[in-house]
Amino acid sequence: MKKDKITQLLQDRVFTLTVTIALLFVVCSLIWPDKFPTFENISLVMLNLSIESIVAVGMMLLLISGMFDLSVGSVVAFAGSIAAYFMYWYGMYVPVAILVGLGFAGLIGLTNGFFVAKVGINPLIQTLAMMGIVRGLALMIAGAGIQNLPETFNALGQTKILGLQTPVWFMLLIVGIFSLLVSRTVFFRQYYYIGGNEKAARLSGIRVDRVKIIGFVLTSLLAGAAGILLSSRLGAALATSGRGMELRVITAVILGGASLLGGQGKIIGALLGTIFMGLVSNIMILARVSGYWQEIVLGLILILAVAVDVLAQKRGGVPPREYVRKSSEVTPPKVEA
Amino acid sequence: MTLPRLHIKNISKSFPGVKALVQVSLDIKKGEVHAICGENGAGKSTLMNILSGNLQADEGAIILNNEEVKINSQLEAQSLGISIVYQERSLVESLSVAENIFTTNKPRNRWGIIDYRKLYQETQSLLDRLQLSDIRPKMQLEHLSAAKQQMVEIAKALSQNPRILILDEPTASITETETHILFRIIQDLKADGVSVIYISHRMREIFEIADQVTVLKDGKYQGTMDVNATDVDEIIRLMVGRKLVKQDYLSDEQDEIVMEVKELSSYRFRGVSFKLKKGEILALAGLVGAGRTEVARTIMGADPLLSGEIMLEGSKVKINHPRTATNLGIGYLPEERKSNGLFLDMSVEDNIIAACLSHAAENGFIQPARVKKIAQELVQKLRIITPSTRQKVNNLSGGNQQKVVLAKWLLRQPKVFMVDEPTHGVDVGAKAEIYSILKELTHQGVSILLISSELPEVLAISDRILVMWNGQITAELSRDEASEEEIMHYASGTKIMFT
Repeated sequence: MKKDKITQLLQDRVFTLTVTIALLFVVCSLIWPDKFPTFENISLVMLNLSIESIVAVGMMLLLISGMFDLSVGSVVAFAGSIAAYFMYWYGMYVPVAILVGLGFAGLIGLTNGFFVAKVGINPLIQTLAMMGIVRGLALMIAGAGIQNLPETFNALGQTKILGLQTPVWFMLLIVGIFSLLVSRTVFFRQYYYIGGNEKAARLSGIRVDRVKIIGFVLTSLLAGAAGILLSSRLGAALATSGRGMELRVITAVILGGASLLGGQGKIIGALLGTIFMGLVSNIMILARVSGYWQEIVLGLILILAVAVDVLAQKRGGVPPREYVRKSSEVTPPKVEA
Repeated sequence: MTLPRLHIKNISKSFPGVKALVQVSLDIKKGEVHAICGENGAGKSTLMNILSGNLQADEGAIILNNEEVKINSQLEAQSLGISIVYQERSLVESLSVAENIFTTNKPRNRWGIIDYRKLYQETQSLLDRLQLSDIRPKMQLEHLSAAKQQMVEIAKALSQNPRILILDEPTASITETETHILFRIIQDLKADGVSVIYISHRMREIFEIADQVTVLKDGKYQGTMDVNATDVDEIIRLMVGRKLVKQDYLSDEQDEIVMEVKELSSYRFRGVSFKLKKGEILALAGLVGAGRTEVARTIMGADPLLSGEIMLEGSKVKINHPRTATNLGIGYLPEERKSNGLFLDMSVEDNIIAACLSHAAENGFIQPARVKKIAQELVQKLRIITPSTRQKVNNLSGGNQQKVVLAKWLLRQPKVFMVDEPTHGVDVGAKAEIYSILKELTHQGVSILLISSELPEVLAISDRILVMWNGQITAELSRDEASEEEIMHYASGTKIMFT
């Protein structure tokens, strides 16, 4: 029985990732005692991963329900650009501009959700198309970038509270709130059921379509919030920001315990995934390893992490999942007379 | 000493928390039909998976023709002459019948290119042998009914020219006619010296076709008997360890009408009307594909309704999503529990609260302690065998899985409960328990619509019986006037009561 507990713990990604991060921390502190464990270094690492972590929270929610969104990187650029556009060209009041940016982000999520849940387009195709469309829109609006944004707007992402930059606080707040909501509320538990078995969820009375659409809207809203925060932090909106972010975020979320099949994962895992990736790139810089190696190393770690998991499950002797026939394909009765 | 063709020696296999097989030994002789019985979870499927190479035993040996063999994959099993037909279908629906039958052993010409003419010829001769005159080799599999697909599965196993053929519940989804054809083929195979291992819950079939019968219980060998020297009672006693008392499943039917449907029609059925009384069990009997499941799914709001109305306690209701149905007090235990009823990778307690999340919550926040308490109560009440309520449902046996789906709906306390093949692939012991749960519900005033293809079940527990054929209701029979023959006539369209 005790052995079962240990194997269970080893299969819990939140646990293994926390241990790995702690180990990395200790080892690096021993190697670079005056460079690594300083408040300055760690707060910089946190600042660098704050934007992606906010996006990762939404991605985790979608992956729990067995879906994902490739358009988040473009939404980051677009929401930041549109808020900046209205502030710069029309002198729009800062909070209103932020709401407009979020509104457009929400609209993109609604469109994704509608086509995936109601029309039945595969999320990969729908959000891949949306990724291109939204990136194009961002380039049209922001062109080479919009600078000279209002001071009050820049303050949002450039202030320090208790020594930490505001984006870090925003990130912690969002992760905290979503962690609580997703693990405990009736509404968000539904994402696990949809990811576990969509047909059974529907027959159990879960409004699958509606819950899915809300998932896409929330993911887009979080990406939009991240984009606006990024513009504020940089003091400029760039149409190229967030390029490739969708895949980095999916990497982090899968490292954090999600499965592409759905039904698995915790919000805290999304944060741990980005922290791990942030630490790896910090270490590479401290070790003066070429930046090209970062992507190679992260790719290898992703394969390793998932392979260990799959192998552990096989060795655990879990009987192979049997093939189950889709009931939607029940053949019509033969008309014989 | 010469050993029989297949000698299974002291095989053991464990999964986390479960001993699936404990020191099981078994002999299969040349040209015999050897039935294996046992409750769900008794280890039959595990043993067959070991023989067909999908699982490896922890201990023990498989001795085939006096030689010890290691079977590491299904392909190796095939090359040793062992073929298996699974309970669940293993076919690709988007491919043709011929391509499904010859998956790895397609005939090739000398350049290694598939010889389609020969492929279709060989498929046709296999189909002829199985008397499947309405299936063509080029037909796409998804256009076939469930029963025909099962026959294609059998044809696939026969295409490998097995010396040992394993059939795991082959008749679960086929009709009487096809069962007769299957039995004739088994006789032919037997005459050719092929050994058949036959797994079934249906006693009548075992006594009709088998020579020997072996009983497993909780992963342990209980004994092997000659079918001529045993009877149903003895086998059931060995399977469940107790004598099954035939209960009288009379329900508490009242005159009040709870649900009435008028002239319901959809793409799969037409003009379906019936009244469901409070506390009664109304059966929808018929063959697979008659449209019974579709009626239930339409009432549940899972499939679109074309015309007709549903009255619930006297007032007309409009149901366009299962959520509406559950809120109105309608529950549906779907057929094929694995694909429609269960969240396999989730725990027993998560499954139990799935239809009733708010029941376990306060102000929208789920209370883990309450979830646990609710789940434990239902696990005890329904006698679900599981090490804990946190166990993944995937690790439970079929009967226990079905009880988990039942528990989910009991928690929801429906007024109208539609149960679709509630005992499909469930062992005798669990069957009796499910019947008494349903009976208990009728005493509490719940009305049950029972969809079942098992006639003895329909006759034993329902008050009234509706028979469906080809998308329409062909008869209404009372419990007293119905017989298996009578129902079969209406179910196959040879007799129609209404016009």
